Order: sequence, then structure tokens, then C-alpha cells
Amino acid sequence: MSRTLTDLDRRTVLGGGLAALAAPALLLRAARAADEPIRIGFPTPLTGPFGAEAKDQVRCAQIAVDQFNAAGGLNGRKAELLVRDDKLNPGEAATRTLELIEQDHVACIVGSLSSSVQLAVNEVTKARGMLYVSISQSDTITEASDFGRTTFHEALNPHMTAGAVARHVFKPGMKVAILLADYAYGNEMAAGFRRAAAAIGGVEIVLEQKHPFGTADYSTFLPRLRSVKPDVVCICNFGRDQANSIKQAVDFGITRQARIVVPVLLYNQRLAGSPEAFEGIVGGANYYWTIEDRVPSAKAFNDAYRAANNGAVPSDYGAYGYSGVRLVLEAMRRAGGVGTDAVVRELEGYHYDTCKGPETMRACDHQAIQSVLILQSKAKAAMKSAADLFDVLAIEEGSEANLRSCADLGHKT
Amino acid sequence: MTSARSEAHEPTRAQRWRVPLVAAVLAVLPWIAPSQALAVNILIYGLYATGFNLLFGYMGLLSFGHAAFLGAGAYGAGIALARFGVGWFGAIAIGVAASGLLAVLIGALSIRSRGIYFSMVTLALAQLVYYVAFQAESWTGGENGLRGLTVSSLRIGPLSLNFLDPTIKYYVIFGFVTAALWAISRLLNSPFGATIEAIRENEGRAQACGYDVRRMKLMAFTLSGLVCGLAGALDALHLSIVPIDTLYYQTSGLAVMMALLGGAGTFLGPFVGAAIFLLIEDSFSLWTSHWQLFVGAIFILAVLFLPRGAWGTLVAWRADRRA
Repeated sequence: MSRTLTDLDRRTVLGGGLAALAAPALLLRAARAADEPIRIGFPTPLTGPFGAEAKDQVRCAQIAVDQFNAAGGLNGRKAELLVRDDKLNPGEAATRTLELIEQDHVACIVGSLSSSVQLAVNEVTKARGMLYVSISQSDTITEASDFGRTTFHEALNPHMTAGAVARHVFKPGMKVAILLADYAYGNEMAAGFRRAAAAIGGVEIVLEQKHPFGTADYSTFLPRLRSVKPDVVCICNFGRDQANSIKQAVDFGITRQARIVVPVLLYNQRLAGSPEAFEGIVGGANYYWTIEDRVPSAKAFNDAYRAANNGAVPSDYGAYGYSGVRLVLEAMRRAGGVGTDAVVRELEGYHYDTCKGPETMRACDHQAIQSVLILQSKAKAAMKSAADLFDVLAIEEGSEANLRSCADLGHKT
Repeated sequence: MTSARSEAHEPTRAQRWRVPLVAAVLAVLPWIAPSQALAVNILIYGLYATGFNLLFGYMGLLSFGHAAFLGAGAYGAGIALARFGVGWFGAIAIGVAASGLLAVLIGALSIRSRGIYFSMVTLALAQLVYYVAFQAESWTGGENGLRGLTVSSLRIGPLSLNFLDPTIKYYVIFGFVTAALWAISRLLNSPFGATIEAIRENEGRAQACGYDVRRMKLMAFTLSGLVCGLAGALDALHLSIVPIDTLYYQTSGLAVMMALLGGAGTFLGPFVGAAIFLLIEDSFSLWTSHWQLFVGAIFILAVLFLPRGAWGTLVAWRADRRA
């Protein structure tokens, strides 16, 4: 018995019709995926106290994207940067990250600026198997409890930064006092100084003075600092706290008896302050533009930035933005696609040089092993131009010995 | 006393249909809103502002400390999930219970004062909660926030739902929010609702009529805390983190702003206010980094020209036309 069209039941016809309609749509979609741009989600705090850093991160990340596209992209597929304002708020950052993943179908997330925000982004990305390259300092993100297979940390961490500064400044027999802001950043930096002091040996931490985050008046803390007669005062706070505490410490005469040291000396923070307040202060950094005279990749990066920004120079956090985006685009090109597993395999143990000399992405915890610059703020008279803020005292080359071991971080080895 | 008229006995047609109406709008929201993550935020903050409005709009008590209840709900649920491995439903219950308990405590202390003093006491107590959470790092994660509470699938009997799917997540949270709105609506239509509005209009007179004003205030305060706690617990599930900012006083201010923008003292006003605020913030911050300037300007204009809020003005306009 032959079946005619009228024998077919309604559902078969409907189903078949739908399939016939859907097939070209699906094919079209598959075809479109190939020439759709590679979208990179970039949450960053455009508004808020770190706005200057964030805007420079965006400028630098865009340079990395433009260079990738100019070089032909990924077999002709271009990259596109989707910048979102996370307002320096972890909840906002998590929402924006969800949008970037669910709505914009990004291939990876790069960005965020502050420990709590990057941990929030990381929580969202790792549950969804989304690649995330973090570009601001945190010790926690590479620890086993927060780490995910798709988590990468391109920035320095407090242990490396404070350690490098301590190894440069601390000498056996010294008395050290620490002033720290009582939150994750301050505590992690202070712990970094403590561990480095113990490793050097003979360095005595005579005082650890905590102050609340966002303190404006340091007059209650400074007499205590002076009374313990330290040789070095480590000031572990960030942004406005750093500017306020340093200015008041200098006014208070701390610098007459001790050397002031900060874990991170930022280009934009120094610009926001004055040369007088920062004069002679020593601190660590991931990048400073004058290393271009000895690092060819820094020269290339600075030149690209100058060309795009009327001769200005990039900041340290800007360099993170460039490095983070370029790192992941290079890995995609080498993997020949944007598949997460393939890109993760490319990134693990990857040796690269984006803008500051050789770096290695440690396979076990995905922390970038890299150099730390030791900078000293210049006196006003010694500045040759408005961008000439620091002397590079030393460059501590990247070494795994300066990182906490993966076993310490709780990773199975 | 216009708004409490006959509410206790015969709910008007508008009152009977307000929850189905809002449920219908919210059911299609994920397709209207710019993103599903934003749609979920509208649900959660809408519920939060509605909970706040129970106390502010209906009882007339302006609290500056409601972040404490949102936070207690979020941390309660989050700690249950992350530290004790409680199931998702149990975690929500724990979050709501935690904020209810906190609301009884803060309520009992703060309703002894009135007016600006009440606001200041709630603000101070909420900041206390903030600093406790900030310091109790081993429990709350401190400044880094609470992590490790990602719920990827929901088990409901034999059913297993993929909670990472934004659509499923939206409708699960939608279910909770609608149920809560229905409960609040029923409550406001009950004699209890009429009583708290009577206290708002004239406390002395309500007392003279024989109502136990202090008990009513504490009840309203606790209910408001419970609703905000539910919003907090849902927020923890939604974002899979609990940021310390949840407890910050700015989050309390957000509830005030949303309620005023939409219309305090109306049932749907705070929800509308939350939606307007979040939509403006989302779309403007994509467009310009000076979005705060525009949001601020819109808020000022709204306060100047729509003192009853966007929804409140609409409701009043309809009532005028009927009269």
C-alpha cells in the first residue's frame, strides 16, 4: 500500500516542514560563525577611582586587537573588543560578564581591575568553561580554591611585587614598619613583605599598623610609626589612600629617618600626586615606558601607542591590557581556532614576549612568570619631560623561585 | 486618608489583577530587556525595592539600612551553599530566615525612634552588619566577597534543570518573585495592610482605635526584611558570588531611589522604578562613561516633575479621570 501525501499525519508534515525551514538557517548560522568576529569581552572600571587606569587599559587592548586584525586575523577572522564598564563593583562585573557570555557570545574575557572584581568575573567564567585572562593583582585567584582550568593571571601578584621590592630594599639588620590598608590588597601586600623579610633573614618587622580602607587622616598612625624608629616604612595601600598617606608621612618627617617603600608605584597615581610628595619613594611595577631602551618589544609597543595617542606613553596597567589581549589572540592563532580546550593547551607553559621581555605562563596555576621593575620617583628638577617620572633602579627577571610553589597554592602536583 | 479606603474588605479590580498583570509583563521581560542577566537583575531589585516599600510606602518608615537584609539573605544562602553544601532550596530558606531574624533584631531596636532618628538608627545598625561581614573573612570572604557557590543544576524531584542556562535561571527566579509578590499583595489587601496604612496616616489615631502600633511596626519591619532577604538569596544564586558591596549603605540608598523613581506607596511603583533605573544605567553606561551624570539628571527631573514617581503619577492620573 502506497502512502500518499494525505496519509501523512499532521505532525509529520509539521515536523518535516520545520526541519526543511530550519536546515538552511542552521547551515547559514554555521557558515556565519566562521566569518563572525572573535569577540573579546573586556570588563573594566571606566567610572570610579581607577578610571584613568581603565581607560588606558582599553586604549592598549584596542592596539592589540588592531595589530591582530592588521596581520590578517585568524585565517581572515577579525577580532573585536567589547568594552563594558564594571564600575569597580563585583556584582556589576558579574552581570556584565554574564551578558558578554550569554548575549554577545564572546570567545574569552580579559580584564577587570581589583581583587574582588576579578574573583567575581572568575567565578562566572569558570562555571561556564569560558576563558578568562585577569590583568590586575591578586594572590587569591591562582590558589586552588578559586582557580579554574580556564583561569589565567597575566598580572603580577602581591607576593611577587612586594617580594621583589623587599629583596631590593631590605638588608639584614634592618628594622621595618608596615602601614597597611585593612582589606585584601593591603593584607596580601603586607604578607608578601613579611615572607620576603623571613627569606632574607635578619630583617625585623617592628610594627604592622592597619588603617581602615579609605582613611583620609593618618595623624593617629604616623606617631606610632615614627616611635618604633624603623629604617624602612612599607606603605601597603592603593589609589587615594596611597596619595594621602604618603603626603602626610612626608609632611610628618618620616622620610628624614626612614625610607618609604610601596609595593606598587603606578604611573597614573604619581601623575595624580606631585613630584615633591613622591620624591625618592621606591616601589615595584610591571611596566614603565623607559625600559624600551633595553627591551625591543617594549619599544614596539610604545611606538604603536605613541602613533595612536599623539605621542603619549602607555601606563603600567595599560600594558597589562595590551599583554592580556595579545596573549590570548596569539594563542588562538596558534591553536587555529577559538575552542577553549585547544587555547588552554596553547597557553599552558607558553613562552611569550608581548611588551616587557620574556614571560612564561606557568602550567600548574596559570600565573605569568615575569620581571618586576624596581622604580624610584624622580625629583622635579631631574624630570626631563612630563612623562619622565621614575628611575629604573633594577629589573628583577622573572623566575619561578620568586613565586609561591603550586603545592603551597593547594594545587595537586 | 484616601489610599486605605475600603482596601481591607473589598479589593478593587486593580488590586485583584495587579499580580497577574506584573507576572504577565515579567514573563516576557527576557525578550524585551537588552539581556537576560539584566532581566534577572530587574526581578531581584524589583523585589528588593518592593520589600523596602512595604515599610517606606505603606508604613511610612524610611529605613536607610535595608542593604543589611538583602545582604543577610545573600550571605545566609551563600554560606549555606559554599560552606555547608546545603541544597539550593534549603539555602534560599536559610537566607530568608537569616534576614528575618536580623530584621526582628534591628526592627526591635530601631522602631523605638521615629523620623530622621529611625533612619539614622537603621543606617548605623546596617553599617555594623557591614563591618562584621568585612572582618569575618573566614565566613564571608571579606573584601574579596564570598565565592564558591555556583549552582549549576537544580534538582526538583526527578527533574534536573540546567541553572547555567539563562532562560531557565530567569524563570526559576521569576517563580519565586511572582509568588512573593502575590503573598505581599494578599497581605496588603488584608486587615493588616489597612492597619499599617492607618498607622502611616495617623499613628496616634490608630493607637486610640486600639491597635498595638509597636507590634504592627515590628511585624511590617520583619516582613519587609524577609522579602528583601529573599531578593538577596536569589541574587546570590544568580551571580554565584556575594560581593561585600551588597551590604554597603549605597545598596540601601538604591532601594530608596528605586522606590521614589517608580512611586512609593503604590504596589507596582518600586518594581517599575527598579526596571527604569537598571535599564537607564545599563543602556547609558554602554553609550557613555558619563552615565552617572544622565542618571542623576533624570532622577532630579523625576523628583521635580513626577513627585509621585513614574507609576504613581500614572495611577493618580487614572484615578483623577475616573473621579
